[in-house]
Amino acid sequence: MLPNNEVRVPQPRVAQPAWDITAEFTEAAAKIKSGKLVKDELFTLFEAVGALEIMDSKMDSGYIAPGENQAQALEDDYDVRRELTPAEVVGLMDELLCHEMAWHMGHPLSQTLFTSIYLDKLLWPVPRTVEDAQFDRTRPATDLPLVNLVLRSYCLALVKACDFVHSRVAAEYFFEEEDFVTQLYNRNLLSVFDPSHFERLLDQAIDWINKEAEMDEKLRDAIRSRLVFRREFLLALDRDLDVLESRSTVNFVSCLSQLELLTDSVALGKSVPEAFSLKIQRKLASTVPPRPIVHISHEDALAHLKRLCQDAIDMQHMLDYHGPSNFKTAVWTLLSRKPQPSVYIRCLLQALIISDMTILGAVSVKQFLYDDIAELVLPSSILLQANTDEVELPTDPRFQIAQHMEGFVKRFAQPFVDTVRCACLNRCRIRRTLCHTVVDWDNLQMEAEDLDAQLRTLTSERPVPIPSGEPTYSYPLSSWAYHQKLIQLRLVLQMGFELSIYSPEELPGMYWYLSHICTTHLGHLDRIRTFTVAARKRDLMATSSRPDTSSQPSSAFHQSFRSLERLTTHLIAIDAFSIALHALYVLLARHQLLSPASSPQAYSSEKLRYELRMKPFIPVSLPELVPFQAFQKEANLEGDSDMTVLERASNAIAEARRAWETTLANGAFIEDPSSRTPLPSTTIEEDWKRDVKDTMRACIGTSLAIETIKKALAGPTEMATLEVAIPDAGSKARWHDWWVVPQVSEKKRN
Amino acid sequence: MDTDDNQAIQYLEGLLGRAFRVHTTDSRMFVGIFKCTDAERNIILSSTYEYRFPSPSAVQAAASASQETWDEETVKPPSSSVKVHMTSRLIGLVVIPGRHITKIEVE
Repeated sequence: MLPNNEVRVPQPRVAQPAWDITAEFTEAAAKIKSGKLVKDELFTLFEAVGALEIMDSKMDSGYIAPGENQAQALEDDYDVRRELTPAEVVGLMDELLCHEMAWHMGHPLSQTLFTSIYLDKLLWPVPRTVEDAQFDRTRPATDLPLVNLVLRSYCLALVKACDFVHSRVAAEYFFEEEDFVTQLYNRNLLSVFDPSHFERLLDQAIDWINKEAEMDEKLRDAIRSRLVFRREFLLALDRDLDVLESRSTVNFVSCLSQLELLTDSVALGKSVPEAFSLKIQRKLASTVPPRPIVHISHEDALAHLKRLCQDAIDMQHMLDYHGPSNFKTAVWTLLSRKPQPSVYIRCLLQALIISDMTILGAVSVKQFLYDDIAELVLPSSILLQANTDEVELPTDPRFQIAQHMEGFVKRFAQPFVDTVRCACLNRCRIRRTLCHTVVDWDNLQMEAEDLDAQLRTLTSERPVPIPSGEPTYSYPLSSWAYHQKLIQLRLVLQMGFELSIYSPEELPGMYWYLSHICTTHLGHLDRIRTFTVAARKRDLMATSSRPDTSSQPSSAFHQSFRSLERLTTHLIAIDAFSIALHALYVLLARHQLLSPASSPQAYSSEKLRYELRMKPFIPVSLPELVPFQAFQKEANLEGDSDMTVLERASNAIAEARRAWETTLANGAFIEDPSSRTPLPSTTIEEDWKRDVKDTMRACIGTSLAIETIKKALAGPTEMATLEVAIPDAGSKARWHDWWVVPQVSEKKRN
Repeated sequence: MDTDDNQAIQYLEGLLGRAFRVHTTDSRMFVGIFKCTDAERNIILSSTYEYRFPSPSAVQAAASASQETWDEETVKPPSSSVKVHMTSRLIGLVVIPGRHITKIEVE
């Protein structure tokens, strides 16, 4: 995480005696040769560029223009004691909500909530008691309940809600200024006070408003719904981690139900722009220049809030642990929603996924790691069953195995959990992090290989002949690590498509590389299957001689085979689709139908681009980076005629459509064969299905493009009459972010 | 001439890293660590606090009500005997242009 900004921990200064050196200093400075500097050795000019220039209105937030009255410049004329109409209270509440959401979206407090004069009065000077936090502290607030009870309780509960969000985000992995700005400008978000104070105040306010018979009914309802929302939102944030125990998101559900009333009554509010001021920035501890107030629309704010509540509600569907692959699918699917869940949700998820080395508050990381290894490579293996509690004789191989495995858990548990947690970052950072972790996993794989070699002497493993060569050992742990790495390499490419990293001229090559990674991965899964089949045979022979053993191993093997089958189907689907798109793009490139992003005079070349794109892959030892010459030959399908390439595309897309159908039929989650009740259908599952269906739409789009090309190739000059559009990520024509399907059509004749 | 110049430079270099109080034409005071200066007497301070003399209304408020002080730093405005705190805030790394400097103090 980024280092703390110096402003966050201001140290109280103790005043020292000082003496005037103006004259000496001025005289000495005049003797510095022009262009020279007297400076601290460690102080660099680079740092100096970041210094704020005092007395410059654009840089100095404390600057008061000549002629501006100092009192007016610092203190706003706005009178917080003034009476407000109900419509103004609604307007103020909604404006504050917009600012709160803008802060959630990543804008700093200084440009959002901290521009509110009401909040400023409540928070500065720092209140010592809840009673202290008044709009006007000089006189007791007994009059104007609409201001001093209703608006005040709303404001206090809002600040406390921000306090919860702030501490949740700051405790987890996020990117300062990219996802969120934690800066508080030496203010405090009422963090010392218990939320019950504010709930009580809100209840009083709600009671009062209910008794206000003279107020217009619509406005009364509008204010009441805002107060109720505040109370529910505060409760929801206060108890956000309790969901692990309670499985209840009742507060977020009530927030959502208030939001409808809230949305309908926005128009009743009357805005009070004078109650917000930039002048407050002159009093905030801030190392940045003055910046304008951020305004977001009510629609955007409410939409953001609604998604936040909905995501928080849907989160409960992934809290029951049903094995590692179901868990990973649920996390990834939820976090791949568009637009991506807010930073608060992503941080809350991190806290739920793992805290105190426990997954979802229920499963130890060791168990999670072992479950994943068992599912992929080691169903019913002594390696995962041995433990030092049962066998205490140090010479016993089982004891030694357990010791080795303990070391393995220590080394691998964290990186493995991180592969899941990584999905909680923002989309750009996910890809960036993958580029780094894939190198770590390359090293982890090598370490696992050493461990495999040691373990196999302890288990007296016998080599198994594999279809294409010599008898060989299974290397289970390094096989598992390689599988993790291949997933990451694939994601680096797929996220690249999602983030629009590749230019049109790179698309043929990148889809070829994607299919290359998938093919490698499929080969690896075949290898794993070979060893699991051999292990199963040995296991059957062993159990037939001991008829009293349980059926446990059998079900473990069954589960493992099923899991391998699902993985294989999914990979075939991706592989076939990328082969089809690769072939299609090769044809488009051959006929100059792709408009390149780089100009003809550009310094870039295919080779340089390849080096750049493959940067994350270069340090990885396995799979080896494809050398440029080989890549060029493969990616351009050199030597294949247009008709051959076309046929390749048609065949591959037909296979892709079948494989995606099967993937969809397999479902998002693996049902647990031992449990009678099927997994309940959830919104996360719906999201997953939508994602696969979008991929299938992209397949159909690709088929259409291939058909168009086929017709054009049949004629002598038709290819020249075609034009190609590449839909942007996120646009409607782009069926799926990971599949860049070109739209091929005939040029419009003028 | 040269030795005189060197002495001046040495004097300034000796001040690097010391806590400065720089007063500006708009009657603010900046307290921070002296990092850099040049022939124009531009001064760079790090970890700087901005101090602002209380506004007339704040003095008035303090005079009329014996209110609590919120800051450690207190000054006595010359015209009266009430204590009013000087407002301060951390603003970090700043450069103060020489032409706006009215007074330099070292702690």
